[in-house]
Amino acid sequence: MKSSENQDQGGNLKALLHRLQGPLIRYAFQITGDLERSRDVVQDTFLQLCSENRASLNGHLEPWLYTVCRNRALDVRKKEGRMNPLTEATAEPSSNSPDAFVSMDRAETFQSALKVLETLPASQQEAIRLKFQSELSYKEISQVMGLSVTNVGFLIHAGLKAIRQIMLEQPRANSKVLRRIK
Amino acid sequence: MTLDPNEPRLTAYALGELDETERAAIEYELLHSEAVRRAVGEIRATAEVLRKELGNEPRLQLSEAQRSSIERMFQPAKRKTFFAPSRALYAGAAVLAVASLFLVVYLNWSERRTSLENTFDTDSNGRIIGRGSSPRTVVQESPKPPEVIRKQSHPVQQTPEQVPTKTPVVRLDKEKGGVGIGTELIVRNEAASQSLVQAAQIGQKEIVASSAVAVPMLPPATLRSTAGPGEGGGTAAHSFLRKFLLQDTVSVSQGYESEEQKTLRDKGSYRQDFNTETYDRVVDNPFMRATQNPLSTFSIDVDTAAYANVRRFLSSGALPPKDAVRIEEMVNYFAYSYTGPKNSDPFSTQVEVASAPWKPEHRLVKVGLKGREIAQDKRPPSNLVFLIDVSGSMQPPNKLPLIKRGLPLLIEKLTENDRVAIVVYAGASGLVLPSTTCDHKAKILTALENLEAGGSTNGASGIQLAYDTAIANFIKGGTNRVILATDGDFNVGVTNQGELTRLIEEKAKSGVFLSVLGFGMGNYKDSTLEKLADNGNGNYGYVDSLQEARKVLVEEMGGTLITIAKDVKIQVEFNPALVGAYRLIGYENRILRAEDFNDDTKDAGEIGAGHTVTALYEVVPAGKEGTLPGIDALKYQKPVEASRESKSGELLTVKLRYKHPDGTTSKLMQFPVSDRGTGWAQASRDFKFASAVAALGMILRDSPYKGNATIDSVLELAEAGKGEDKQGYRAEFIELAKTARGPVEGTKITN
Repeated sequence: MKSSENQDQGGNLKALLHRLQGPLIRYAFQITGDLERSRDVVQDTFLQLCSENRASLNGHLEPWLYTVCRNRALDVRKKEGRMNPLTEATAEPSSNSPDAFVSMDRAETFQSALKVLETLPASQQEAIRLKFQSELSYKEISQVMGLSVTNVGFLIHAGLKAIRQIMLEQPRANSKVLRRIK
Repeated sequence: MTLDPNEPRLTAYALGELDETERAAIEYELLHSEAVRRAVGEIRATAEVLRKELGNEPRLQLSEAQRSSIERMFQPAKRKTFFAPSRALYAGAAVLAVASLFLVVYLNWSERRTSLENTFDTDSNGRIIGRGSSPRTVVQESPKPPEVIRKQSHPVQQTPEQVPTKTPVVRLDKEKGGVGIGTELIVRNEAASQSLVQAAQIGQKEIVASSAVAVPMLPPATLRSTAGPGEGGGTAAHSFLRKFLLQDTVSVSQGYESEEQKTLRDKGSYRQDFNTETYDRVVDNPFMRATQNPLSTFSIDVDTAAYANVRRFLSSGALPPKDAVRIEEMVNYFAYSYTGPKNSDPFSTQVEVASAPWKPEHRLVKVGLKGREIAQDKRPPSNLVFLIDVSGSMQPPNKLPLIKRGLPLLIEKLTENDRVAIVVYAGASGLVLPSTTCDHKAKILTALENLEAGGSTNGASGIQLAYDTAIANFIKGGTNRVILATDGDFNVGVTNQGELTRLIEEKAKSGVFLSVLGFGMGNYKDSTLEKLADNGNGNYGYVDSLQEARKVLVEEMGGTLITIAKDVKIQVEFNPALVGAYRLIGYENRILRAEDFNDDTKDAGEIGAGHTVTALYEVVPAGKEGTLPGIDALKYQKPVEASRESKSGELLTVKLRYKHPDGTTSKLMQFPVSDRGTGWAQASRDFKFASAVAALGMILRDSPYKGNATIDSVLELAEAGKGEDKQGYRAEFIELAKTARGPVEGTKITN
């Protein structure tokens, strides 16, 4: 009776686990900054999935996984933050100084788009990774990050623009990248 | 109209995020504007580079053990997992453990109402399934009760005599055998193993809804009976499930981890992630035979946090977790009208004996201590350091904002002789207000007002800094105290609880005492806070409202601030001529070894000015203890001969040891107590009220010793014992007991 269904479901879930473990760990890592913790977070996320009514998650399973993963990762970061004074402060670039990352000398060291990405405010990095690494839609990202779709659109737009500008304005340092863009 | 090339919609367009109408509008622009075309091209190129580079990041994977722990949950559990003898237990236990973790996760999740609808919160009868009760609905009924063969004794199955008296708090950690080592469970019945699987999938709502599983719960009596000796069969399995699903989430998760994951994570983090509220396990003290264990020794406890916490659960219509119900803290929440000491002793002792309301053939002994009152103007000067948690989790109105409203109530009462400093901690810690005399109240209040959750300052770890500040401003002969206000997620600069406890113990030697105030709910770490307070020569209160803040900080300020005796220990010697057996109600985690009583290096509780401390013993008269499990007659010894004093007619002798707050050697006090055979109806109001509170506690704990106690009898006792009740706390208790009726009786369908 049910066992074959269960096994099918088990098989699908296995495939899901196989496909999403990497991106989810990476995502958690962006938040926690600790790979082992991030693995724990992702394990917890999948374990929670097992306890959910998966029928009700149909159609938004992935954003759900990312949401749970994000919340857990934030919890971890909060706790670790207390254990290691000041890491929180340094881990997150202040979002109210948008010009910090366009400074010339810093730009010169950029070897790749990823390096530029790392200088962006955390929320832009997060949205960009969810978009280009996890291939979520604006709408799904808005669910995961708890923002409006417009907001997500703005974050991604601003992030891409910053990356583009830096790379275009630094032709010598980034000749390789530039060639690819043109 | 020309579109600004710096328009977010262009990015959305380039990434394929626009709907048809918007897309058409942009495409029109594309045809007409070179700048827009170039912008879109650049966006796409950047996106492509990003995709590629992000795609080239090294692939991350879960460890093999992590993956298999997840995959096992994906698959329906196989029967043989439960059969295989050596690994079976771990597998079974892991499923149970994970199931129980899910319960906690699920319930927290549903509590927060983040994404799930509340189909799980009420069942088809409309009965609310609270935290404590929902698991029962699911696991207890299977088509046939599982047949369980017990191969070895399980801690749970121990008779009261076997439970080591010195360590009444049984922790099932991995050193002691974890989940399974004490027991081997073999589930023979397919339906039963299926129910285990279903238990593992408990989060799925349809299981709750399906008639096969969501059938009425077994009466608690059935479950309870398994704790007694001699039972086996189906009820043992129920007990097993119930214990592990309901209470032992913490222990089980550790047991689970020890097998599956110990290399993967730091100790404790797993538990924190899953269980946002933690309680140490509490096992009811068993009856002890007076002939075999004539001495009962414990440390006093003036903590009251459990009551406010229990109130929080009941007010929300849920049963509190059993381990959150610490009866002595509930009883000690209330002030009793004991008279203070008439001589130079720091406290007076009053003992009352009457019949036990829940079991009239037993006697109930109430031992009451009352600390000397110290008038406000005679109060020695205080040096207070507020250590305030300002981390992000403190933002809700019942946390930092409540602290900011509550502490001024205390500061208001302080005078120019007193000093206050404020230390905060979050990601980092810092001294917000250096020690300031209280004639500068405005300065203190402003500093307090300016605190904001989420902020952080540089500095050493908070607790260290707080103690350093207190020590730097030490007032000899005065009150020197750190007052920690937190939601308990307390990890300032010290990474584990053991280290933290040691730090605090070390600091307590400096003469600086610690008060811990727990705020808020959700992240509330009850067990951590209690331990901190106990190790720091301190007390611990839970504040959930401004009214509670007033009680703890203002009305009980004398007690909270002025310690009049420390390391107060009680030892009761029972007279076997009159006492068959006895049981200390509550104080499970305060039990001391008999020899600790005279050992002045053993730390114990402190008592503050005006504090009352109450302890209750249930006594089985000699000759009536026959039904208690006993031990065989000893082969190499004869029973000890009764002394002449045993014929004195004394029921027991209460012995107390205490030290002066700055003393190092203890003083002894002794009081013989006789029983005049009073019935509880003739007892004092305080006796009735205290027994009402204890009875409610036992009902909430579903204690095997609750006798015929019911909510009705609690109400009757409490009404009879209410008395004047100036502050209305006893009236509030009566209301609370009424609220408990629903959740308590909701757990019994048939009986």
